[in-house]
Amino acid sequence: MTYFFELLINGALTGLMYALAALGIVLIYKSAGVPNLAHGAMIMLSAYFIYIFASLVGLSLWLAIPIAAVLMFVFGLVAERFLLRRMVGQPIIMIVMLTLGLEILLRGVAPGFLGAAPKSLDLGIGLAPMIVEGVFINRAYLYGAAVAIAMIAVSLLFFQTRLGTKLRAVSDDHVSSWSVGISVERAIGISWGLAGVSAVAAGALWGSVQGVDWTLSTLLFPAIAVVILGGLDSIWGVLVGGLLVGILGSVVPGYLDPLVGGGTRDVVTSLIILVTILVRPYGIFGREDIERV
Amino acid sequence: MINRRGVLRSATAAIAAAAFAVSGFAGQALAQDKQPITFALLQDFTGVYTFVSNEYNQGQQDYIKMVNATGGVKGHPIELIVRDTGNEPQRGIEAYNRAVEEGAVLVDFLSTPVSRAMVPRVLEDEVVMITALHGRGDASDGQTFPYVFPMMATYWSQASVLAKYIEEHMGGLEGKKIAHVFIDSPFGREPLPILRELAERKGFEVKAFPYPSPGNEQSATWSDVRRWGPDHVTIWGAGGGQPVSIRTAIRNGISPKDILSVVWLARTDMRQVGFEAAKGVKRFAATATGRDTPVIQKIMETVIEKGNGTGDMENVGNVYYNIGVATMAASVQAAEHAIENYGAPVTGPKLKKGFEDIENFNAQGLMPPITITEKDHQGGGYGRVSMWTGDGWEPQTDWITAYQDIVWEEIEENAKQFEQGN
Repeated sequence: MTYFFELLINGALTGLMYALAALGIVLIYKSAGVPNLAHGAMIMLSAYFIYIFASLVGLSLWLAIPIAAVLMFVFGLVAERFLLRRMVGQPIIMIVMLTLGLEILLRGVAPGFLGAAPKSLDLGIGLAPMIVEGVFINRAYLYGAAVAIAMIAVSLLFFQTRLGTKLRAVSDDHVSSWSVGISVERAIGISWGLAGVSAVAAGALWGSVQGVDWTLSTLLFPAIAVVILGGLDSIWGVLVGGLLVGILGSVVPGYLDPLVGGGTRDVVTSLIILVTILVRPYGIFGREDIERV
Repeated sequence: MINRRGVLRSATAAIAAAAFAVSGFAGQALAQDKQPITFALLQDFTGVYTFVSNEYNQGQQDYIKMVNATGGVKGHPIELIVRDTGNEPQRGIEAYNRAVEEGAVLVDFLSTPVSRAMVPRVLEDEVVMITALHGRGDASDGQTFPYVFPMMATYWSQASVLAKYIEEHMGGLEGKKIAHVFIDSPFGREPLPILRELAERKGFEVKAFPYPSPGNEQSATWSDVRRWGPDHVTIWGAGGGQPVSIRTAIRNGISPKDILSVVWLARTDMRQVGFEAAKGVKRFAATATGRDTPVIQKIMETVIEKGNGTGDMENVGNVYYNIGVATMAASVQAAEHAIENYGAPVTGPKLKKGFEDIENFNAQGLMPPITITEKDHQGGGYGRVSMWTGDGWEPQTDWITAYQDIVWEEIEENAKQFEQGN
């Protein structure tokens, strides 16, 4: 039973870390109505920015992270201004392809400029095991989960603000938003900027766990599973989807891998995506009118 | 400073190679009076091998610059073709075709998928393919794979050396439990037949614990490992997955002293774990690390200190840099034998024979003594075990080889399957 609880708890913590990676996708979709497949690479880019300022420039990590957040906010604004704005009125599939192209570009360019060897990002989280009632808890994931919950809470509050309401209106209908005087371009730019900031939180935490290299961009896969399960336009969906993806991705392989020789976690994640799309294409908390991607 | 260094580094090996090939370099003048020998380094600078390829290729280029600066191979300069394959067999085939048209007699892909895809072509074209620390283990059988040269310990031999180390230095094998924790891929699974055979013969238990690629999240796997309670753990991954393995092992209460790794574990991975926290981790070493060996000293004098180095000077002497140097040192040695014994110009078949004439070659102490024969293209399967001390890798053994009878059973069985078209 202890083993089950260990898989459950660490799975939940891992899932919250995935939720952090998925949050940016929902922030953009909820505001701009665009499924952003470049978010994995944005997480990677954020981690590279933190590494540059912390390790190469020699700034304190706690200064490097806010600077990276500012840079990623600007990156989001620039991406909207020079890429997304040109796509207004184009089929959604072409916008998705554009974000996929951006993902591939960033994945190649960032390691190209900074070297491909994994870089170290030390947040000062100790390696000593944390044992509660015989259950080993991953300390790094525990802190990561706390940050994820905080970011999700802030996002929920943000969408209750005046600006957040405007962003939701823009997501619903660009033309109607224009007609009531909302600057749609500005709103979409802000949503991309906010996604950039959430990518920094994910980049810092995942970068500290696995090092900074191109493989950070592969977080896109579990993040996609989270948003499909939870609903592309739901912040609550990120929380619940993250927990479910993490727990299922931990408990099922924990018992199945020894029987079948491994490899079941990716199968579980893939099944979550397939079954959700077939049974509830708008996800657990998503609105029914959202488009399938 | 960041921008300049970053941009310089960003040139990566591919761009550096272009400059290298087009503009030449100072020392080459010394070795230009005879027909050049062309080696093609068609490697993965943008895909999954990026954790190793830049440093490895830098070592290869610097070594060849040193050779050319000091007269070439019996007066023949070596020309390098360096291109990116992105770890994609299709691009590898394209790059290979161009390189062969340009006269390449040796290719090095440093990519298992590309090397495996190219085996039939190099056998047909009679072009030497070196596959140090990657590719097919059964290519050690020179009679089945006459133009493929692993020339360093295969993963099977690495596993056997690590097992020997446990037997002789960690309290023996009998009655022990060894967890093999690996990236879920053919590479990660490769040592399992050897470990299982050894387990049967030596009376210990071995259990496999795969984690999904690319290895950035392994917590469930290590919970299972801890529950099993192994005495020792072998980790078989590469790149970012390796430090995650060590960190997650430590978080599960497994001592770094009980962790033994495949060759792909470098200083940069130890930095990621934490230099102090990783103390005691052991690793298979295919070459010496550091700059103390005569060959690295000579590269420093003739290439690096003259400002002709290929990449970041900090990499000189690192493990992957030195492996790159060793591959070229053995290849140049083969070219020397080819010219001496079979005459210029160096062709694929002559270079193959040159490799098979290599006897007790150790690149002046950089690598274990390798002897390559018509049958054994692995060179004996030598290596040693090094331990991370907190600021570097310290050798724990001499160059050793172990259980080659078991390794060769595996080689021959797999080679036979290749011959039968499986």
